[in-house]
Amino acid sequence: MEFKKKILDNGLTIIGEVNKSAKSAAVGFFVRTGSRDETAQISGVSHFLEHMLFKGTEKLDPLQVNQAFDKTGAQFNAFTSEENTVYYAAVLPEYLAEVTNLWIELMRPALRDEDFNMEKNVIKEEIAMYKDMPHFDVLDKGRSLYFDNHPCGQSVLGSVESIDALTAQQMREYFNNRYAPNNMVLAFVGNFDWENVCALAEKSCRSWQAQPVERKTQPFGGSKKTERITKQNLACEHICLVSPGVSMQDERRFAASMLAAIIGDDNGSRFFWELVDNALAETASMQCEAMDGTGAFYSYIRCTADNSEKVLGIVRSIFENLYQKGVTEQELQKARNKILSALVIKNELPMGRLVSLGFNWIYLQEYQAVNDDVQNIKSVTLDDVNNLIKQMNPGNFTKLSLTPAL
Amino acid sequence: MAEKIDRHILKNGMAIIGEPMESVQSVAFGFMLPAGAARLPAGCCGAANIIEDWVFRGAADMDSRTLGDKFDSLGLHRISSVGTSHLTFGSALQAENLDDALDLYTAVILQPQLKDELFEPARQLAVDGLLSLDDDPRHKVMLKLKEQFYGEPLGRSTEGEKEQLQSLTAEKTKQIIRDNFNIPRTIFAIAGKYDFDAVCKKLEQFFGNMPNLEQANIEYRESNIDYTHIENKGEQVHIGIMTATAKPQDDDYYDARMAVSVLSGGMSARLFTEVREKRGLCYAIGANYHGLKQAAGIICYAGTIPQTAQTTLDVIIEQFENLSKEITEEEIERAKTGLKSALILSSESSSSRAGQIAGDYYLLGRVRSLDEIKQKIDQTSVESVTQYLKNNPFKHYTVVTIGPKRVNWLNS
Repeated sequence: MEFKKKILDNGLTIIGEVNKSAKSAAVGFFVRTGSRDETAQISGVSHFLEHMLFKGTEKLDPLQVNQAFDKTGAQFNAFTSEENTVYYAAVLPEYLAEVTNLWIELMRPALRDEDFNMEKNVIKEEIAMYKDMPHFDVLDKGRSLYFDNHPCGQSVLGSVESIDALTAQQMREYFNNRYAPNNMVLAFVGNFDWENVCALAEKSCRSWQAQPVERKTQPFGGSKKTERITKQNLACEHICLVSPGVSMQDERRFAASMLAAIIGDDNGSRFFWELVDNALAETASMQCEAMDGTGAFYSYIRCTADNSEKVLGIVRSIFENLYQKGVTEQELQKARNKILSALVIKNELPMGRLVSLGFNWIYLQEYQAVNDDVQNIKSVTLDDVNNLIKQMNPGNFTKLSLTPAL
Repeated sequence: MAEKIDRHILKNGMAIIGEPMESVQSVAFGFMLPAGAARLPAGCCGAANIIEDWVFRGAADMDSRTLGDKFDSLGLHRISSVGTSHLTFGSALQAENLDDALDLYTAVILQPQLKDELFEPARQLAVDGLLSLDDDPRHKVMLKLKEQFYGEPLGRSTEGEKEQLQSLTAEKTKQIIRDNFNIPRTIFAIAGKYDFDAVCKKLEQFFGNMPNLEQANIEYRESNIDYTHIENKGEQVHIGIMTATAKPQDDDYYDARMAVSVLSGGMSARLFTEVREKRGLCYAIGANYHGLKQAAGIICYAGTIPQTAQTTLDVIIEQFENLSKEITEEEIERAKTGLKSALILSSESSSSRAGQIAGDYYLLGRVRSLDEIKQKIDQTSVESVTQYLKNNPFKHYTVVTIGPKRVNWLNS
C-alpha cells in the first residue's frame, strides 16, 4: 500500500492509496456539506442536490449520464448525511479514468429547472418510503429530539413541505457556496496509476474557484427529552436512545467504538444477553457515531409494546451497572476481536477502504493505514473505556419511541 | 489469471468446495444444510428460524453463554440464513481463527444441546421477527410475492407462519433437526485464506461417517395466482411483480440474465429510465433475476404513493411487454459490461465468493469459473436475447401489493 497526496492551488485535495494487487479501483468525491449546513428555508437541499448531480451538465442530459456510468460497468452511487455528501464508484481498473472524468464533469452540474421539478417527485417518494420504515424513522426522529436546536438535528431528507417550497435558484446558491474545491476531497483506492488520475483531475478541476466555506461545530450534550409517539399501522414498539458521544477529532473515538460493541453488538453484548437472548426484545443494538465536533451513541431496540416498559427498565439497569462497575477485561477482549476482524474484512474491498480513507481526510486531514487503525483499537485499555463511561454516562439519554396505537 | 477451485467429496457424499484468494487475510465459510423452508414437513413453516437460533443455545459440553463467548472471542461475524432449500451456518473471520471456528460450528451442527427450556425464547424470537415484518412492508411484499409465485412448498415464507410457529413443540422441532441435518447432502463452501488439506482433514474426521438420511426432493407445482393485496395504512403502495424465466441450469440462462439487465441492470436500463427518470413515479424501482433449482423468475419491486400506484404498475408491465422490441447493440454492450464487472467486483469479497461457489455447486453440481461466466456472457447478442424473449414471452405475472390502495390487475 502506498499513500499519495496532492493539493491543487484552488484547495482541492486529491488523495490515493495504491494497492496493485487489487482487482478493482474505487473513486469518490467527498464534499463537506450536509443537512447541518442548511437553514430551515432550504431544509433537504443537500440531499436533493445530490440527486440533481446525476441530472447532468450543460453538455450531458440525464440519460447520457446514466448511460455513461453503465458503459463502464461501475457500481456507483451517492449518499448524503448530516455533514457529508459522498459520490463514489467502484470499477475495473481499465474504466477508472473514464468514470473519474465523468464524476469531475458532474461536479459542475447544470441544475436545470425541468430536471429539478421532475426530481422533486422522486425526493417526495423517498420521504414517503422512509416513513414506511419505522426502524429508520425512529432513528431520524430520535436524532432530531436529541440535537434539539443544534444543526446536527436537521433532517437530511427535509419534509414534503420544505421540498415543495424549495426553488432551483436556492439550490444553485447553495451549490455555489458549498461545492468549492477547498471544501472537497477526491479520493482513490485500489489498483490505479496515481500520476494518471492526478493529471486528469488537475487538468479538469483547476478552473474551479476556491471560496470561504464555514461550518459551526459547537459541541452539544443532548436535550435529554423523552417522547413517545403513537402511530397507527405499527406492529412493534421501536425505541431510539441517544446519549452524548465523542467527535471524529477526539482520540477517545476508538474506546467509544469498543464501548458500543460491548453494550450493543448483535451478538454477545450486554443488550444481547439481557434483552435478546431471553426474547424480551427482538433486536437491540448500539452504535457510536463520531461527527464533526460532536458525537452520539445511538441505541435501537425493537420489542412488543407490552414488553417496552420492562425492556427500558433493564436498559437503565445495564447503564447503571456499567456506570458503577465498568466493563470487564473479557468484554474488552471480545469487542476488540470483533472490531478488528470487521476492520480487516471491510478494508479488503476497495469500496470499504475508500470510505475510511476519505473520511479520515475530511475530518482529520490525515492518512491512517489499516494497520494504524488496528493499532489504535489494540491500544484501547480497560481504563480508557471505563473512564469514557464515567465521562459520557450513557444512562443519561434522550429517548424517542414509536408505539402502535391500541 | 484463472482462479483455482478446490473440491473434495467425503466418502459419505458431503461436498467440500473452496476458492483460495491470495490478496485477502480473511476467510469466509458456510455449511449449507438441506433444511431450508421448503424441505420442512407441512404445517411447520418457520421451524428453520427457530432451529437457526436454538442450536446456538449450547452445544457439546458448552452451555449457551460459554458457546456465545467462544464465538465472540474469535471475533467471528456470524452469518446464518434460512433459504428455500438450505439452512446455512457460517462466518467471516480473520484466517488465523479458522480452525477454532470450525470446531465450534462442528459442535453446533453435530451436538446441539437443544435444551427444552431454551426452546421457548428461540420460538418467541421467531414469532417477534414475523411481527416486525409488518413494520417492513417492502420486505414483506417480496416474501409474499415469492410465496404466490412459487406456490407450496417452494414459495414458503422463510420467516414462517404465526400459527404454525406457535403450534411447534420442542420435541417436534428436534425431530425436524434429526430428519434434515443430513450431512452427506450438506455442502461446505470456503473462500479466502485457508489450508484446504487441513480443512478437509478436520471435516472428514467429524462429518465423514455421518449416515445419509432419506430426504425427498422439493417438488415444484406451478402457481397461477394473479393478484394479492394486503391492506396497510402506510404512505406508499409497495408493488411486487414476478414472472417466469430460465433457470440457472437451462441453456438459455445467460440470455435470460441479459434480458433482465436490459430491463433493469443499471440506471440507464429501461425500468429506471421510464419509471423514475422520465415520469418521477418512484424512488425505489428495480428488477432482479431470482433463480431456484426448480423454477426461476424476474422479481420486480416499486414503491410509490397511492395516487400513482396504478400508473406505476402499468408502466412497468409495459416495459416487460416491450422488452423483446428493439433491443439495441448499446443496451447489450452495457448489460455485458455491467454483468461482468459486478462478477469481478464481488469476487474480491471472501463472503460473496463463498456464497457464489456454494450456490453454483448446489444448482449446477459444479463451480463455474469467472472466465466461463464471462465467456458465456460474451456469447450473447442482440439476436440471441431477442430470440430468447420471443420464444419465451411473459405469459403470466404474479402481482402483490401492500398499502392503502389496491391496483387493478386482471381478476381484481
